[in-house]
Amino acid sequence: MPPALISPSENDYILRGVDSNIRADGRGRLDYRQIILETGLITQASGSARCRLGEGTDVLVGIKIELGAVELDGADEDVAAIKAKRGRVVCNVECSPIASQQFAGRGADDFNNELTQMLDRVLNGPQGGLNLEKLCIIPGQQCWIVYIDAIVLDYAGNILDTIFMTTRAALYNTKVPKTIIQDRGDGEIEFEISDDEEEWERIEGWDKVPVAITLNKIGSRHIVDATPLEELTTEAKLLVTVNKDGKVCGLQKSGGGSIEPSLLNDMVQTGRSLGQSLIQSLDEMLRREENDINLKRARKERIEKLGFFAAI
Amino acid sequence: MTFQFLSPKPHSYTDKVDADGDIDMLLKTERENFETKVVTPGELVTHATQYMGGHGTYTNETNERLSSVAGVVDRVNKLISIRPLHTRYTGEIGDLVIGRITEVSQRRWKVDINSRQDAVLLLSAINLPGGVQRRKTEADELQMRKFFSEGDLLVAEVQGTFQDGSFSLHTRILKYGKLRNGSFVIVPPALVQRCKTHFHTLPCGVNLTLGLNGYIWVSKHTTQTVEEFAIYSNENEEIDQENREAIARVCNSISALSRHFMCINDKTIVLAYEASLNFPVKDLLKLDVMVIITNEVNEKMTSLKAGMRR
Repeated sequence: MPPALISPSENDYILRGVDSNIRADGRGRLDYRQIILETGLITQASGSARCRLGEGTDVLVGIKIELGAVELDGADEDVAAIKAKRGRVVCNVECSPIASQQFAGRGADDFNNELTQMLDRVLNGPQGGLNLEKLCIIPGQQCWIVYIDAIVLDYAGNILDTIFMTTRAALYNTKVPKTIIQDRGDGEIEFEISDDEEEWERIEGWDKVPVAITLNKIGSRHIVDATPLEELTTEAKLLVTVNKDGKVCGLQKSGGGSIEPSLLNDMVQTGRSLGQSLIQSLDEMLRREENDINLKRARKERIEKLGFFAAI
Repeated sequence: MTFQFLSPKPHSYTDKVDADGDIDMLLKTERENFETKVVTPGELVTHATQYMGGHGTYTNETNERLSSVAGVVDRVNKLISIRPLHTRYTGEIGDLVIGRITEVSQRRWKVDINSRQDAVLLLSAINLPGGVQRRKTEADELQMRKFFSEGDLLVAEVQGTFQDGSFSLHTRILKYGKLRNGSFVIVPPALVQRCKTHFHTLPCGVNLTLGLNGYIWVSKHTTQTVEEFAIYSNENEEIDQENREAIARVCNSISALSRHFMCINDKTIVLAYEASLNFPVKDLLKLDVMVIITNEVNEKMTSLKAGMRR
């Protein structure tokens, strides 16, 4: 990726602005931009969501639930026994080359891997939240595989936070068909997937899926929701993933700079409280959207998704 | 520390109907004596076959000339082309542009000016410290990064074009050169109008440099003239809270105008700034506030226009 450029005077302007709590766009250090959210806009997917952050950043997440074989890992018996009883989550993040000049050509390859790995580590990790055992249909044989595909359509800073919150929204929107398991006696188990579109359930544990807050250290202070120019000024980044109980589910530090222990503590605390209130607002929004749809359905009105035809 | 989630909104077609009952920018009576015509992709530009097709047009099986972009029809004698609204910047000689240095090479800098290719700034086309008429020496060639290095923002003028369509720039006027003390905004180049001057000082004590390539620099107003030797300095002056807020407010007003695709010049920016004074600076990023501000600017512009007609 060719590095985006910033001039020393811009750098200094942003640095001093952060210090005096007025950023270049007038926000304070801990102010987030407005978020425009829509779920269920891709009809072919099992679940989908699109988030736009302020002027730019645009992330679309599609989730597809597919039948597959459970992962049989023979390396360690204990691990294999656990894995045989579990469904799987497969993540993939891609930055569209039209989103930013930095992503043109092969430029985004490394960055895509980094983002994919970050999402994968959190969702497949012990704090991922999703109940993977529930996704298993027949232990040792069949399970649901959850494919999470995120695409970054436009870039105006703070991609990771947006990816995580869009993923959470898309998981809420995801419909897993009901399965009926029949035991044929003689050890053979069969199952049937319900044809009824009304018969579905939500992925268990979607509400425990964490969101991420990226804290950017600029000078001796930290900010959230950085713009591209602010990201260039950032010395060190700390990604804090938080679940709805306010528990820290993961930390990742990136960038070349260092973070002092006292500041680190400060940043984790900020990330924690911000993350928790982000989840609250997000869930409220999701519930509001669903209520609207249910209300319309009850009144037999047409339910229209705006998708890319939205004015704002 | 609050998070605001919004639902997307559909386009509203109803609220901007004019006296004709449509949403065209002009009234029917005005349209007749008005040359420009706005077209969308696939729209018929002309039936007549005697015209030559320029950029942004194509012909179909029945030899009708259609538009391939959204923009305004540009006709020069028999050549018809469409000037797109969303495009990269195509410069003309004498244009004032703002650019960012991307590369330092032999006796020249490469400058990103939002054009299809990077522009070229020759070492011989800048003011060297120590006087306008000074000749460049080998020492100057060796310390080019002392003048401009990668990432630096500068204001320059388009001096000419090369064979391959890229531009050459010059900064041989003291007003041109490195940019300091402010922040950078990007808008679509089609929105910035060609004016007599592109350097403005707004009544709120903010300096504004409108690059025709859609790059805009908003900075603190300084009365002191830059000393000859300090033109390549990277140091910012002290900017107090009040100035910072004013700069941020102007930047946000410009973004609001560009988001609603309104033309950007000193007049509209001042109107937007005045309309924004009812809100705290950071609220200007909110979509509903942007609508209020741009509507107010729209109203004032129409009443100004009506006043001029009378």
